[in-house]
Amino acid sequence: MKMQKKTVSEWVKSGDPWVWLNAGAVAISVIMVVGLLLLIAVRGLGHFWPADVVQATYSLPGEKPYTISAERVESVEVTSAQLREAGINLPDDGDLLLQRTLLKMGNRDVYGTDFGWVLDKYLSDMQTPEMLFTAERHEWGNLYGYLMSVKEDGQVVSETKDVTPTNSALATWAIFEKSIERASTIHEEIKDIEKSDIGKINHALERIRLKQRRFELNGELTAEVEADLAAERSQYDEEYKGLQANLAALYQRINRDTFTVQVMDGTVHEIQVSKIVHAYRANAMNVPQKMGFYFTKMWEFLTDDPREANTEGGVFPAIFGTVMMVLLMTVLVTPFGVVAAVYLREYASQGWVTRVIRIAVNNLAGVPSIVYGVFGLGFFIYFLGSGIDQAFFPEALPSPTFGTGGLMWASITLALLTVPVVIVATEEGLSRIPRNVREGSLALGATKAETLWRVVLPMASPAIMTGVILAVARAAGEVAPLMLVGVVKLAPSLPLDGNYPFIHLDQKFMHLGFHIYDVGFQSPNVEAARPLVYATALLLVMVIALLNLSAVTIRNHLREKYKSLEM
Amino acid sequence: MSDAKTHSIDISAMQRGQEALRIEDEKVCLSVNDLHLYYGEKEALKGINMVIPEKKVTAFIGPSGCGKSTLLRCFNRMNDLVDSCRITGEINLHDENIYAKGTDVAELRRRVGMVFQKPNPFPKSIYENVAYGLRIQGINKKRVLDETIEWALRSAALWDEVKDRLHESALGMSGGQQQRLVIARTVAVKPEVLLLDEPASALDPISTLKIEELIHELKKDFTIAIVTHNMQQAARVSDYTAFMYIGDLIEFGDTNTLFTNPNKQQTEDYITGRYG
Repeated sequence: MKMQKKTVSEWVKSGDPWVWLNAGAVAISVIMVVGLLLLIAVRGLGHFWPADVVQATYSLPGEKPYTISAERVESVEVTSAQLREAGINLPDDGDLLLQRTLLKMGNRDVYGTDFGWVLDKYLSDMQTPEMLFTAERHEWGNLYGYLMSVKEDGQVVSETKDVTPTNSALATWAIFEKSIERASTIHEEIKDIEKSDIGKINHALERIRLKQRRFELNGELTAEVEADLAAERSQYDEEYKGLQANLAALYQRINRDTFTVQVMDGTVHEIQVSKIVHAYRANAMNVPQKMGFYFTKMWEFLTDDPREANTEGGVFPAIFGTVMMVLLMTVLVTPFGVVAAVYLREYASQGWVTRVIRIAVNNLAGVPSIVYGVFGLGFFIYFLGSGIDQAFFPEALPSPTFGTGGLMWASITLALLTVPVVIVATEEGLSRIPRNVREGSLALGATKAETLWRVVLPMASPAIMTGVILAVARAAGEVAPLMLVGVVKLAPSLPLDGNYPFIHLDQKFMHLGFHIYDVGFQSPNVEAARPLVYATALLLVMVIALLNLSAVTIRNHLREKYKSLEM
Repeated sequence: MSDAKTHSIDISAMQRGQEALRIEDEKVCLSVNDLHLYYGEKEALKGINMVIPEKKVTAFIGPSGCGKSTLLRCFNRMNDLVDSCRITGEINLHDENIYAKGTDVAELRRRVGMVFQKPNPFPKSIYENVAYGLRIQGINKKRVLDETIEWALRSAALWDEVKDRLHESALGMSGGQQQRLVIARTVAVKPEVLLLDEPASALDPISTLKIEELIHELKKDFTIAIVTHNMQQAARVSDYTAFMYIGDLIEFGDTNTLFTNPNKQQTEDYITGRYG
């Protein structure tokens, strides 16, 4: 016993337990981070894989059997008691646990919902027919069914009665694909005109309206000016009419083709080809084809606008908004933080006042971010913003220009949130510059300001970059304050475009963090949105990592350049 | 009087064939009048009176903490950077009190350059290091810079070693080269006085020798004040030597006399290694 005790105390003394404890803590942290990334990666990235579409007969006891064609989403085990409680009439055959599967059946316009749970036990005749196709639509989610015919101007071009890959079925499919391609091209054209050309005209017309209002407010609206403005306006109106005619023709053309489809309950529907984004037969694809499809879908996710209340399509505006907001924030916070730190460290006399300020700055970093949001809303938007509106944009009132949330206010609010980090890191960097280097500069006849500017700040730049990296990491992941100062679930246009003044600081924008919240918890179609939550979360992590990585690269470059003397 | 043989000094190094120097015959560059310096309550310099002769090398020796570096740093007001430091008395640079109100300290430091114990090149290229002081003065013409930099590097006996890598980082040089670069940098702004604060103490013997040779060359154009721990070095390079002890200037005279025939017992004890 005594012997044992001694060995334990010796073991403690040897320091081994500490090593184990420390290593254990590190291991747990690493496992948690890797686990988190793995979870969102698997769940998010799996979404883009073209899953097989299963056709089966579902016959619940006591109900009429019917055919289901759907994608499997996930399976869980539930107790039969739970199912009975939910009102399902199960025979008492001794099964306590039943496998239940979530199916994505699509065709929301036909059945009302596009997801449903089925009990695996009562599924029979499972098959994956090659001609069963999936069509992504601009509205109403996916469509699953068999292609029956394709029509042009109401005339049948090709039709088939087969649900197996016979010649006629494949020929009809080929024509269908061509028709979709044509419709997509026209769709692009329409989007181009609506977004850029008409957008430009609307922008110009709005400017004319504001100009007129300005003249009116200044009492300078003479008949002459009015005639000028009217002339200008009519020129745009003319242009608009031309585009309108163009659009009408395009709409005529895009709506030429229709197709008929037999869905799982056996009914046949006629649908316009223009409603389809793309159609594919997942069951007929081999692995390389699926891979190709997978990457196309992923690319779309990164570069497209969202559709259907953000549950379909891409997240490009959110990526763009996030990156732009962070960059703007960096541009604001870096000089501000550096200047403040230089004063605190280099000029202010180190008494109790500086100490209090330093404590205050450190505490500022601990204020909950939503508080900054409230401050941004109350001070920046309602006070400064409305002041700016009254002083510079009276013609736009009562609709606010800067008196409402926007890119600029969001960036400034986040800059305020992150400025303590930059100040602390810069101060740290300044205090580490060797005294003899400063003296070297002073001894050559440089003033203190010149020494700071030419020697000290360049040498402190790696530390400043460290502060910026921390600031970027914090700002990019922040959501709560942004909800108050300018982020929206769907922004009609990007804050950077071809219309004067090109960067629209007053515009509201989309943000990946808020997008996750919106898609995941504000969406009417929870099942459809769930994989997107993971995919968006993964994307947000990657965007932040990328922003950080570039900052780290810059810092390492600076470090190399201003490597301090080895002393 | 002690026997010359008991001295640990290499007297032959001092036999440079010159006549005994007389301070009264020299032109005065810097004169120090009743200089007191306090760090807070502590008096670090206790009423120093001396002159630094022009275009000669004056060495300051003495045990650690005797105030020799502090005194040197008074000549270009480097002590201004120390918050608790207070100074009374005056130092005249050619009859101009450098502690007078309204003195342009940056201009003073341009006229009185300083080289520190540890080489402190800026993390810039060799060229930019030497150009630094010139650029501070607003000299940015490439031709002028090129000429001055070559001249400065030649003065510091560094030109031949670095002429092919002027635009490489100064931090890649050896310690001795760095120190000569710092001297070149200081020389480039053409000061009247060069203050050297133990310039060779962080260097190897060969680099030290080079620096000493350099001091010999530089004496033709500049007034030099050097602080050193190394008495052989003081004997080798200086014309005049000041021995300081705990804030007092004990003895000041021409190097030959001070080392061979000191007036004060304290001086003799120190240079013979009996204490210090």
